[in-house]
Amino acid sequence: MVRVLDRKLLRELRHQKGLLLAITTLVAVGVMCFVYMRSAHRNLKNAQSNYNTQCRMADFWIDLKKAPIAELQDLAELRGITELRPRIQFLCTVDLPDAKEPINGLVLSMPDRRTPVINDVILKRGDYFTDQRRDEVLVNNAFAKKHGIKPGDIIHLILNNRRQELHVVGTAISSEFTYLVGPGAISPDPEHFGVFYLKQTYAEEVFDFDGAANQLVGLLAPELREHPDAILRAAEARLKTYGVFSVTPLKDQQSHRFLSDEIRGIGTFAGMMPIVFLAVAALVLNVLLLRLIDQQRVVIGTLKGLGYSNAELFLHFTKFSSVIGLAGGLVGWAMGYQMSAWVTQIYQTMFEFPELKNNVYPELYLIGMAISLTCSVAGSFRGARAALSLQPAEAMRSKPPAEGGRVWIERIPMLWSRLSSGWRMVLRNMIRHKARTIVGVFAASMGAAILSCGFILQTSMGYLISFQFSKIDRSDVDLTFKDERGVDALFDARRLPAVDHAEPILDVACEFFNGPYRRKGVIRGLMPDARLTTPRDIHEDRILPPESGVVIPRKLAELMHLQPGDMLEFEPIKGVRKHCRVPIIRLADSYMGLMVYANIDYLRGLIGEEQAVSGVQLEVDERPEAMRELTRTVKRLPAVQTYVSRKSMIHNLNSTLVEMQNVFIGIMVIFAGVIFFASLLNMSLIGLAERRREVATFLVQGYSEWQVGGFFFRETMVTAIVGTLLGFPLGYLLVFWLTKNYDTEMFRFPLRTPPVVWVKTFMWGLGFAFAAHVFVQREISRMDWRDALSVKE
Amino acid sequence: MYCFDPSRTDRFELDFVPMTQENSAHELLLHLDGVGKTFRMGEVSVHALKTVNLEIYHGEFLVMVGPSGSGKTTMLNIIGGLDQPSFGKVWYGDEDLSNVSQRELTRYRRETVGFVFQFYNLVPTLTARENVMVATELVKNPIDVDEALRLVGLSERSNHFPSQMSGGEQQRVAIARALAKNPELLLCDEPTGALDFETGKKVLRLLVDLKNTLGKTVLIITHNAAIAEAADRVVRLRSGEIVETHSNPHPKPPEDIEW
Repeated sequence: MVRVLDRKLLRELRHQKGLLLAITTLVAVGVMCFVYMRSAHRNLKNAQSNYNTQCRMADFWIDLKKAPIAELQDLAELRGITELRPRIQFLCTVDLPDAKEPINGLVLSMPDRRTPVINDVILKRGDYFTDQRRDEVLVNNAFAKKHGIKPGDIIHLILNNRRQELHVVGTAISSEFTYLVGPGAISPDPEHFGVFYLKQTYAEEVFDFDGAANQLVGLLAPELREHPDAILRAAEARLKTYGVFSVTPLKDQQSHRFLSDEIRGIGTFAGMMPIVFLAVAALVLNVLLLRLIDQQRVVIGTLKGLGYSNAELFLHFTKFSSVIGLAGGLVGWAMGYQMSAWVTQIYQTMFEFPELKNNVYPELYLIGMAISLTCSVAGSFRGARAALSLQPAEAMRSKPPAEGGRVWIERIPMLWSRLSSGWRMVLRNMIRHKARTIVGVFAASMGAAILSCGFILQTSMGYLISFQFSKIDRSDVDLTFKDERGVDALFDARRLPAVDHAEPILDVACEFFNGPYRRKGVIRGLMPDARLTTPRDIHEDRILPPESGVVIPRKLAELMHLQPGDMLEFEPIKGVRKHCRVPIIRLADSYMGLMVYANIDYLRGLIGEEQAVSGVQLEVDERPEAMRELTRTVKRLPAVQTYVSRKSMIHNLNSTLVEMQNVFIGIMVIFAGVIFFASLLNMSLIGLAERRREVATFLVQGYSEWQVGGFFFRETMVTAIVGTLLGFPLGYLLVFWLTKNYDTEMFRFPLRTPPVVWVKTFMWGLGFAFAAHVFVQREISRMDWRDALSVKE
Repeated sequence: MYCFDPSRTDRFELDFVPMTQENSAHELLLHLDGVGKTFRMGEVSVHALKTVNLEIYHGEFLVMVGPSGSGKTTMLNIIGGLDQPSFGKVWYGDEDLSNVSQRELTRYRRETVGFVFQFYNLVPTLTARENVMVATELVKNPIDVDEALRLVGLSERSNHFPSQMSGGEQQRVAIARALAKNPELLLCDEPTGALDFETGKKVLRLLVDLKNTLGKTVLIITHNAAIAEAADRVVRLRSGEIVETHSNPHPKPPEDIEW
């Protein structure tokens, strides 16, 4: 109806485009954050659930020594177990001619003919097994891609100590291995670990498992899926005679768990970060619109004088802010979609999904837009209400001069008397415009919080890696044996080429008990003078394996409500399953896994196997030719189960988890930059708009543009510095809260806050503030001060 | 009621058929009954308007004169429904404007009053024509926008923005805006205050013509006593009080006034 007012609106939007751009960016980034994080979160969540459905992912895994298939099938009688599949699984060594290091593999049996089974595979290339050969194999897709293996190729696996030639018929993926990690690793490494699916009949033959299996995967009735413990305990009891090694419900399955943790992590992030942005955007918008509307006091008075009603004018200003909200929302949508696509792409490199699509979730987009519009309209509401509550005559009268009395800081003569007039002006201004200063400081503190959060995460990850791999696990190569070996294995290892030093380890997988608390874990037996595995306390001081008793990780102590001096009860999963009670001597700090340490001889005594060794840790001559010699030899050793090179593991960790983390930190830095830049710029531009006359007067008196800019620069910097300092504790709390979600049995995050984190945050914060000031300075230089002086108030 | 020659769009004077004064003269339009206004400024109260009584009649050309701070603008604002009195009553017909809802007051401003502000108060982002449209879009029976601009002699400048116009031109746009609503009562706050002598006279002529030809009631406040010579009635204000009211049986044509 009021078309001329709409024209006024459009022109005003055009005239203020710089300011509006800055504010729109802030709103847009908030919406983008919301849309992209929530979308990425849902993309992953949906992909996980679709994939699990597609592959008929098991609800539980039971590993056992060996059991007749017929007996295992009987377990289906248990009420609540709806379907079962016994299968054969073994670790193996992959013998690829061009591989630099020995490659570990996992073989799993699959039905000879294709039927929809639990933990099914999805074929990526080639076909399922044929009837033509018995020795056909499906290769995990990522591994095949990495090594250029394609259907029709022949590969060699060491199966049951014999080198077997296998025909590759296809490549496949499965939801069981969405996050595929090899033994001892924490990041996916398709170069060094692969999964191989063999025909059931062939696996039975090659492993001497005629009519037998060593793993059972199964599905539960829907009502039991959430709480499978009771039924799994019953199943375990029934299978006891077959030597149950472990019972794993879906929630504890490695790949599923890692993915779920990640999804939960992004969920937390997606809940938190957009709120920070939108809160800052809403506050800045509020101050800005208040100011823009205040600038129009006279126009409002006039229009009211002409007979416009409050409702009509309110609608007018609402339209104004809605345009900002709409623009912010639309730009946020576009950027959110792009970001979501990009981030989803990054996840595709970490997790192997059949398809990880970047979907558009209309409701998320609508909520994003609604938030943006609400923030904007709410922002203008306050200003419009203030202006509209005035009688037209009052609105048209120029505003009474701002309160000009002394500000509190002047009552500190010690400080005040030392300030130059410039500083006095700056401080008075800041204190008088309290609301604006507070919003500026708040925005800066949020920016600093996000920045420091990113830097703390980065530093902590670095610390975690260095603590774990240069303080605790210090070997270059770890070898584990298929079965526990005697001490001669150590002497053999010492004689391997390139080996400078070797130490035996004895890993005993067991279940820990303390009253109602149970946990699965490993006790590692170490030589008293071991230097390749050295447990540490929180101060990084070395903890020697005690002569008797054990050292347990702090996380396990927490989980099991134990403390030093208590008794730890455990039962080994393999061998003679003797129940033991041992005293806890000390707590160790570590950030991965739940490894318990003991003196190797003490542990041997506990399990009754003297001289037993389950693996060796090596310090090696890392020159390429020496290493080649070592790996060539190890490949030929049938007793070796796995070969883990610390160097490739760290390298892999850096190129996957760490790199992904760095990308996210990069995004955070950019976001923090936007918060800093846009809000400080807005605040300065508002200040400049209000003080055009003052600025012009200074210029006329002979101040240079730089001197005048200096006043604004000081305000910006004081705001940025105060905000940044306040942002430090907020950042710490933010990381604390975020990392709580990553605090799992597999992985914990040390919170490291060395001074460099704060210095970096501070410097970046000041950098962003400086960048914002460059624009303000440009505005001052371009200002038509003659015009400013003739402005009628 | 009125007619004009479309070929003479550049003319500044009005081309109306004069109305007969008897139609409406001496019919009470509005009256102030013991009206006062007090402003609070921090700790102190300022009595901008003490107890004032005033009657305004249909079709009269009333000039209120007084020095700065005499309460002229306050009174004009109260008459125009831009402000409400602290005490007393403002009767428009049988409606007490000091005691109506904001909605009623808005309707009064919209339908009855045309206000010409001292500093024009044009919307800087709208052209002359659009500034007039801001008013015409509000009412049911406006005067055509182009006609209103023609009446004030600004047809050719209708697409200029306020910043591209002289003070006199802006003042005329403000008058066109007030006029275009076709209001009963035209209130002008120092309409010549910011103008040079010649332009001031032209604006005054325009206002006199509006009263004579369209039968509008025109109320001008000014500190310029000379303007009073053109009025039907003159009210003098000092320190928030009416100190003198006199009728002027023979108003001078604006062209003959000197200041």
